[in-house]
Amino acid sequence: MLRSFTLHRPETAEEACARLADLGEDAAVYAGGTELLLLMKLGLLRPRHLVDVKRIGGFAEIGLTPEHGGRLRLGAAVTHRAVEHSALVRARCPLVSSVARHVANVRVRNVGTVGGNLAFADPHSDLATLFLTLDATVELLSPRGRRELSLGEFIRGPWETSRAPDELLGSIALTPWAADTAAAYVKFGVHERPTLAVAAALRLDGAAGAGRHGADRIVEARVAVGCVGPRPVRVAEAEAQLRNASLADLEDAARAASESAAARVDPADDLYGSADYKREMVAVFVRRALRIAAARARGAEPAARFPHAVVA
Amino acid sequence: MTIHVVVNGRPRDLEVAPHALLLDVLRDALDLKGAKRSCDTQVCGACTVLVDGLAVSACTYLAVEADGRSVLTVEGLAEGDALHPLQRAFVEAGAVQCGFCTSGMLLTARAMLAENAKPTRDDVLHYLRGSLCRCTGYRKIVDAVLAAAETVR
Amino acid sequence: MSARPLRVVGQPVPRVDAIEKVTGRARYVTDLTLPGMAHAKVLRSPYAHARVRRVDVTRARGRAGVFAALAGADLTWCDPYYGPAYRDRPVLAIDVARYEGEPVAAVAAVDEATAEEALELIDVDYEPLAAVLSLEAALASGAPLVHAGQPPAGHFADLSTLRPRPGTNICHQWSFARGDAVAELAAAHIVVEDAYRFPSVQHVALEPHAVVAAWDETGALTLWASTQNPYSVRMELAKMFDVPLARIRVVVPHLGGGFGSKTYAKLEPLAATLARAAGRPVRLAASISEAFQTVRRCAARVAVRAGFRRDGTLLAVECDADYDVGAYADIGPRVVQKGTYTATGPYRVPHAKLAARAVYTNTTPGGAFRGFGVPQLAWALESLFDVAADRLGRDPVDLRRQNFLAHGEEFAPGDTPIDGKLEESLGRAAEAIRWAQMPAADRGRGVAAMLKASVAPSISQAIVRLHADGSVTVLASAVEMGQGTRTVLAQLAAEVLSVPLAQVMVVPPDTAVTPYDQTTSSSRSTAMTGRAVQVAAEDVRDQLLAIAAQHLGVALRDLALDEGSVVAPSRRVTYAEALALEFGMSGGELIGRGVIAPGRTAAPLGGSTPFWEVAVGAAEVSVDEETGALRIERYVSVADVGRAINPLLLEGQDEGGVVQGLGHTLLEEMLYADGHLLNGTLLVYRVPRADDTPGELECHFVENADGSGPFGAKGAGEGSLIPVSPAVANALARLTGVRLRDLPLTPERVWRALRSRSARP
Repeated sequence: MLRSFTLHRPETAEEACARLADLGEDAAVYAGGTELLLLMKLGLLRPRHLVDVKRIGGFAEIGLTPEHGGRLRLGAAVTHRAVEHSALVRARCPLVSSVARHVANVRVRNVGTVGGNLAFADPHSDLATLFLTLDATVELLSPRGRRELSLGEFIRGPWETSRAPDELLGSIALTPWAADTAAAYVKFGVHERPTLAVAAALRLDGAAGAGRHGADRIVEARVAVGCVGPRPVRVAEAEAQLRNASLADLEDAARAASESAAARVDPADDLYGSADYKREMVAVFVRRALRIAAARARGAEPAARFPHAVVA
Repeated sequence: MTIHVVVNGRPRDLEVAPHALLLDVLRDALDLKGAKRSCDTQVCGACTVLVDGLAVSACTYLAVEADGRSVLTVEGLAEGDALHPLQRAFVEAGAVQCGFCTSGMLLTARAMLAENAKPTRDDVLHYLRGSLCRCTGYRKIVDAVLAAAETVR
Repeated sequence: MSARPLRVVGQPVPRVDAIEKVTGRARYVTDLTLPGMAHAKVLRSPYAHARVRRVDVTRARGRAGVFAALAGADLTWCDPYYGPAYRDRPVLAIDVARYEGEPVAAVAAVDEATAEEALELIDVDYEPLAAVLSLEAALASGAPLVHAGQPPAGHFADLSTLRPRPGTNICHQWSFARGDAVAELAAAHIVVEDAYRFPSVQHVALEPHAVVAAWDETGALTLWASTQNPYSVRMELAKMFDVPLARIRVVVPHLGGGFGSKTYAKLEPLAATLARAAGRPVRLAASISEAFQTVRRCAARVAVRAGFRRDGTLLAVECDADYDVGAYADIGPRVVQKGTYTATGPYRVPHAKLAARAVYTNTTPGGAFRGFGVPQLAWALESLFDVAADRLGRDPVDLRRQNFLAHGEEFAPGDTPIDGKLEESLGRAAEAIRWAQMPAADRGRGVAAMLKASVAPSISQAIVRLHADGSVTVLASAVEMGQGTRTVLAQLAAEVLSVPLAQVMVVPPDTAVTPYDQTTSSSRSTAMTGRAVQVAAEDVRDQLLAIAAQHLGVALRDLALDEGSVVAPSRRVTYAEALALEFGMSGGELIGRGVIAPGRTAAPLGGSTPFWEVAVGAAEVSVDEETGALRIERYVSVADVGRAINPLLLEGQDEGGVVQGLGHTLLEEMLYADGHLLNGTLLVYRVPRADDTPGELECHFVENADGSGPFGAKGAGEGSLIPVSPAVANALARLTGVRLRDLPLTPERVWRALRSRSARP
């Protein structure tokens, strides 16, 4: 049951921003509605105007940015389903496609959008966690022009972003990893939303596939942990501990990295578990994600199945 | 506002308010009661209908979004008196108990089969992860979906 | 009659309502619309405990489109209290709100949106009071009282001995003893004891409670209700409104699940009250989160001690159980009694000292939920049994077998002797789980057994009508909530009258049409309502045979029924022909009656159970030690059912029971803090999903035709759920050495237990 509202359907970003500026707090940005309409039904939000962004040119597109090499650009109104099935995403950022496949349930994926997911800054967001390892930036549009923020600057805390009320999230850009990067995403939890999620990417030395032949030095590591604290975080200490480690000696480095990750997160005691359990589980799943990434680096696909965990 | 929707193969012109939810329009304006309101939070799937072949939670989907699209509800699965293979499989496998989750299960499975004609058990579980049942324990539902997949092939 | 092989009983026929359910044509209460029907919404207390100083509905009442707005103080023209055990529950809070979510005011309006908006126009002055949210808090000396004074008793025969403790939050106490347990325990070779906790969980029927109520111009009331016992609701409303039973009609369409949540009046009194005030039909439909604020399972803390001889003979059991029945008693007192009655489990226990208390707390009222007190006690006793086996150095399967009650043995003086074969069930379970072979190194196996009585005394009546064309109508008030009762009753009538199943129509329950049935719960519908249908059908059969004997001039013993005809040595007449012979014209029907009402007996609970529900569960589990997450690799359920009238439906029931049991075993728990329920929506309350089912799940049935129900049937449906938690915990203990005593076995709880095991020197 929803209270009545006026639905605006601008066809340009300028028009959308102008509406948002006019209507102020009475308006909410609307894309898939999987978060917004739910909050409206629960009575937590009562906007009298919805500004639908799905008709704005470019908002539903997946493409490459024009710069050399091209970053992957996802329009704010691109659905999780579109990300999952996009050949371009699968080619440039395959793990993004795999993770999109596991967000919430099939109905939410069909309708919910990447932009909506990030703009709501739900602390249990899969994509926010993963995107941190892809140097994600968000494009914000307003009557004042356009600005770009890193995802880390954009997400401030639970349900809190840097978006000004008259700003529109236009797109998200991701920098694909180098070709010789092996990665894994693992989320764990018993509830509808995950209790924690880990994204780990390992770039190896040498030509692509060098890892398979034993030349196995980690040149660069990215470790992000999310869904467990107020916001997803990159764990710089863990990344440093993994740099220059060899795949053969990964266990030691992985242990050190997992401890850093556990220390870095800021979980609370809540329905999803106690803080110290969550910290321990962060460590467990950082190690597991790293092991899976390492196995993938060697060309193996581990049959890793953990109860209540999803591996992508 | 007026929306034009093809519902179960029939073109309809409907007068709906922007805030009307697809579930209520189907149930109240079109008397299609098969989709049910249960959790009202997109978790249980009892309200599932297909919009342009994709499963959506009708309880959290604005009716206006169906404008220009086709909607399939459980009432549209059978062709006259001929049950869809999924419906027949559910009947034969004993996959129906109280029936409240049934239309959502059937439509979700239909959407899956359109995308993946040879699902494994894991594929079925992946799709049905978002469809709750409190009566059956799921085993006969999964068996029925797999059996229907064979038939459809 | 019994010599001929059965035609339809025992067959896995598809359920008779399958087609309407798979085509979306099955009708549930919220699919029904009446002309002029109003929609109701409820304003609920945000406090766990508060004085309600003032409720002002004036502005709500004045809003356009609102037909009625009520508060507790407005209910001067009816008895505003109801409840099957105590009539302690007000339709709307009167002077005090006793739990978060208690209805304080309600509105009936032209549509839901108007009703919702009108709620916001209601002003309530609350004065928050100290609340008790747990058993410990409620039982502490000096604890705030949820209820002051003693409410009148409700309407059930076996609860005429309600025993509250004035000045405390104990709303009922019950005890049962035989022999001298204290002395025996003092002298026993080994004594094991422990305390176990079972959480508050919610039924989560996918269809929440819903009712449409309409008064007519003569002052008669009709309700369409999602209820498991229309006759209990009728009785409750008759008392409330001082209207004769005959002028209240309760109709029950399909239920979208029940599991006990829809037994006894829940929202019906409020809907009826609103309809009266509104002067038009009113639909009151709860949401799932409102269901969490309407009823739940009674949480429990169970302390149990068991004494064994050196040779493993169980001598004595002492049990103290406290049940949290929430803010209103509902059927909590009976849950406490019945559960405790079988606290000694399926074993021969010569000395027993059993005591239980139903305790009020300021939380959602606890009521009936599949298992009815026995899951809580079996969790404790069956866990403890394995602890004993360990101490005695005995195999847990063997130790159970040694102590099982035998078929035909007395359970308690005056009650029905054991009519199930526990040893056979255990044997089947052990074989299916491969108990005799070593499991893989990363797997552990556990078993649990259970015994449950069905509600007694109780009454089931049925009418069967044979029409002029040979088709049949069955009138009985067992409610179809997914378990397949409509199909089973049809099969029974079809069998007795030898007609095709498609020729039998089972009418949905309607107290104006279908005769008295006490309740659809307690696993009793096949055994009791089914037996009534069988007797009614036999009545029709006897009439048919008598007609044929008379008109054909043949002796009764030379007649039989076969495929819609009466068969004599040299003639056949169809039923239609027989009726035409009898009435001398077309038209007319035969009406048969069945009454199953064993009445009160000297049994401890006031009636002898019509059958014992006997079941065994066996689990094989693995655990991810780093996270504590359990995986149920295999689960076997064995139920001793006497005769499976429909094996397909029965298997579906038991598969569902096992998975629902996995809910409270691994995932479900209602969590309260500061008076608030933290997880009353499916966003955060986790019920089993399709990927939570065991890797392998087998449901077996023992069928010795030894029940008092039709064709030797007994009851089923609860036995599959009850052993799940102890079987899983026993498997975990055998795999890892850790014994958990609190449910659910969440990954965190298991993880902590595993760590303290490792930490021990």
